[in-house]
Amino acid sequence: MSAIFTKSMARNVFYGGGVFFFLLFLALTFDSMRVLPTRDNSQNITANVEHGKKVWETNNCIGCHTLLGEGAYFAPELGNVYKRRGPAFIKGWIQGMPTGVPGRRQMPQFNLTEQELDDLIEFLKYTSEIDTNNWPPNIEG
Amino acid sequence: MTKTQNIGTRLNISTNTLNKEDLPGDFALWIFIFAEMLAFGVLFVAYAFARAKDVAIFNESQLTLSLSSGVINTLVLITSSYFVVRGVSAIKHGSSKHCAYFLTGAFLLGGVFVCVKMWEFNAKFSAGITMSTNNFYMFYLSLTFFHFMHVLMGMVILGYIIIKSLRSGYSVQDYVGVETGASFWHMVDFLWIILFPLIYIIR
Amino acid sequence: MKYASQAVAKPYFIAAIALFLGQILFGLIMGLQYVVGDFLFPAIPFNVARMVHTNLLIVWLLFGFMGASYYLIPEESETELFSPKLAIITFWVFLVAGAITVLGYLMVPYASLAKWTGNDLLNTMGREFLEQPLPTKVGIVLVALSWLFNIVMTVLKGRKTAISMVLTLGMLGLAAFWLFSFYNPVNLVKDKFYWWWVVHLWVEGVWELILGAMLAFVLIKVTGVDREVIEKWLYVIITMTLVTGIIGTGHHYFYIGLPEYWLWWGSIFSALEPIPFLMMTIFAFNMVNKRRRDHPNKAAVIWALGTSVVAFLGAGLWGFLHTLAPVNYYTHGTQLTAAHGHLAFYGAYALVVLTMISYAMPILRGRAANSEKAQVMEMWSFWLMTVSMFVIALLLTGAGIVQVWLQRVSETPMGFMAVQDQLAIFYWAREAVGVVFLIGLLLYIWSFFVKDKSPVLA
Repeated sequence: MSAIFTKSMARNVFYGGGVFFFLLFLALTFDSMRVLPTRDNSQNITANVEHGKKVWETNNCIGCHTLLGEGAYFAPELGNVYKRRGPAFIKGWIQGMPTGVPGRRQMPQFNLTEQELDDLIEFLKYTSEIDTNNWPPNIEG
Repeated sequence: MTKTQNIGTRLNISTNTLNKEDLPGDFALWIFIFAEMLAFGVLFVAYAFARAKDVAIFNESQLTLSLSSGVINTLVLITSSYFVVRGVSAIKHGSSKHCAYFLTGAFLLGGVFVCVKMWEFNAKFSAGITMSTNNFYMFYLSLTFFHFMHVLMGMVILGYIIIKSLRSGYSVQDYVGVETGASFWHMVDFLWIILFPLIYIIR
Repeated sequence: MKYASQAVAKPYFIAAIALFLGQILFGLIMGLQYVVGDFLFPAIPFNVARMVHTNLLIVWLLFGFMGASYYLIPEESETELFSPKLAIITFWVFLVAGAITVLGYLMVPYASLAKWTGNDLLNTMGREFLEQPLPTKVGIVLVALSWLFNIVMTVLKGRKTAISMVLTLGMLGLAAFWLFSFYNPVNLVKDKFYWWWVVHLWVEGVWELILGAMLAFVLIKVTGVDREVIEKWLYVIITMTLVTGIIGTGHHYFYIGLPEYWLWWGSIFSALEPIPFLMMTIFAFNMVNKRRRDHPNKAAVIWALGTSVVAFLGAGLWGFLHTLAPVNYYTHGTQLTAAHGHLAFYGAYALVVLTMISYAMPILRGRAANSEKAQVMEMWSFWLMTVSMFVIALLLTGAGIVQVWLQRVSETPMGFMAVQDQLAIFYWAREAVGVVFLIGLLLYIWSFFVKDKSPVLA
C-alpha cells in the first residue's frame, strides 16, 4: 500500500498548512494593528521624536545597546533609560564620551548638536512610555 | 546514537508495515492531525492554567457566551460527521454519486456552522469585546477562531472531494482521498466537541 | 559534475568561505572587546565590529545558498542553468557591493555613511541586521531577483522535483520578506513588529525551506535512498516548520509593545518549534542508516548529520529554553539570547552551507571525493568548530544565567555594567574557545589545499 503516503498528499498538506497559518498570522496582525494605539504611545510621537529616532538610527546605537530588549548585549538597555537616569544625565553622559578609562568598554563621541541630543532624549522618553507588558522586570533593564 | 537510530527506525514512514486496515486515509494526514491535536492540546492546557489564575473573571465572562448557538453548532457538526460517514460508506460500495450527495450535506452543514459562528463573533465584536478585553475572551476568541478556520479548511477539502467524486474520480479500489478528507472533518468535529464544553459550559 | 553550468557555484562557495573567515575574525575582535573594553578603540568600535560580524554572516550564507542552488538546480532539473553568464555577473555585483559596504562600515562614521547614501530619502538604516545603506539594500533586491529569475527559468525548462520547488519557494519568500526592510515607520512598535517579518520569517521560516531542500539533496546523493522517501520527509518537516514557525513569530512580540495575547500565542506555537528540528535529526540519521551506497565522501555525511543535530540543539533546544513568556520576561535581551543565536545559526545555516560545499566542491574540482587525508582533516575541522561552538553556547548560557540572576531576579538588582564585570570569566573562556573555532576553520580551509598522490577517482 505505497499509495497510503503519497508525496503529492504531503505536498498538499504543506501548501495548505502554510497558507492556513499565514492567513491566521495575517488575522492576528490585523488585530494587533487595531489594538496598537492603546499601547504604543503613538499619541506622543512629535516631530522631535521622529528626528530623535533618526539620530538613534543613524548613529547605530543598536550596535551596542538593546532597546526594549532587542539589539546588541554589549551596553545597557535604553528602553527605560529615561526613567532610570533622567534627561540631564543622559545628555551629559553622551557629551562626556569616551571616558578613556583604560581597559573599560568605550562609547564613541558622536558629536551630536544640542538639537539632536534633545530630540534623541525625546525619542527615549517616548520609548519609555510604551506599554511593554511590564518589561523589564526592574529599573536596571 | 543508537537511541536516535531506534526512534528513527520506529518512526520510519517509508516502511510498508502500515496497511489500509491500520489507519483510514493518508498517513501524511495522520501526522498532520497528530500535530493539530498537539497544538490544540497545548492550547487547552494553557486555557486551564490561565483559568486557574483567574477563576472569577472566567466564570463571569463565560455567562455572556451564547449557549444556544454553541449547542446548535455542536448538533450541526455531529450531524455533518454522520453525513461524512455515510459518504465514505457510499464510496466503499462504489457509488460516487451518493458519496457526493452525502458530502454535500456535510458541506452545507459546515456552512451553517460558519454562519452561526459569524453571527456569534459579530455579536461579541459589536459589544466591544476583543482579544484584549480579558484572558477569558482572549482564549474564547483565539480557540474558536482557530477552530473556525479549520472548519473553513475542512469545507475547502470537502468541496474538492465532492467535485472529484462527481467526476467519478474515486472508486471502490481507490477512495483514500475520501477517507483522508473524512478524517480531517472528524478531527474538526472532535475538537469542537472538546472545545464547546471546555469554554461554554465547564465552570 | 553532470552539467557544465554547475561550475558557476565554485566562485560562490569560495567567496562564502572567505567571508566566513572574515566573520569569525570580527567575532574574535568583539569577544575581546567584551573583556578588554578599549581594544582597537576608536579605530573599530564595538558597534562597527558587530555590524561587520552579523552582516558578513548574512552575506556569506546568501553566497552559500546561491552557490548551492546554482549547483543543485541544474542537476535536479536535468538541464543546464538558464544563464551561467548572469550567475557570474550577479556574483561579481554582489561581491563588490558587499565589499564596498563593509569598507564603508569600517572607514566612514555611520552617520556620514547614512547621509551620503541617501538615508534621508528613505530611512532604513540603523536597525539590527538591517544596517545596510539604501543602495546596498536595493542591490540585495536586484541580486535576489536575478538569482530567482535564473533558477526559476531553469526549473521551468527542466524536470520539476520537490527539492527544486521547495528551494525556489524558499528563495521567493526570502526575496519577498526582504522588502519589509524598506518599511521603517516612526512608530517604534510597528517598526519592530515588521522588522521581525524580515528577521524571524527568514530564519525560522523561508530559510528553513532552503535548508531542508539542500539537506534533502545531499542526503539523496550520499545515501542513494529513494527520492520519493526523502522528498516526502522534506514536505512533512517543512510543513511543521511553517505550522509552528509562522505564528511562532509571536515569541518576539512579548515585550515590545504588542497586545498581551501574544504572550500566549507566541509561547504556545514557538514551544512546538523544536518538533520540525527533531524530525530533521531523525530523518537524517534514518536515511544514513538505510543508505544503499557508501559514498566515498564521508566528510559530507558527517557535515549533513552534524547539521541536523546541531540545528536541533541550537534552534530547537536552546530556543525552547527561553521561549515561554514567563521565562523570556527575565531572559529577553541577555547573553542567553546570544547563546541561542550563535548555536542556532551555526547549526542550521553555517553547517548546511558547509555540508553543501563539502559535497559539491570535490565534484566541481573533478573528483567524487577528496583524498582520505583531506577528508580526515575536514572531519577534524568539523569537530573542532562544532564542539567549540557548543562550548561557546554553554559559556554564554552560563553568563546569561548569572546575568539574569544578578540584574533581574535579585532583590537588590545590580546595574548592567557592574554585572558585566562579574561575567568576565565567562567572556575570557568564550574568547579562548573562539580561537579554537578559528583554528578549526583554518584547518577547514587548509583541507582544500592538501595534495595527495592517490585521490579517489570520480
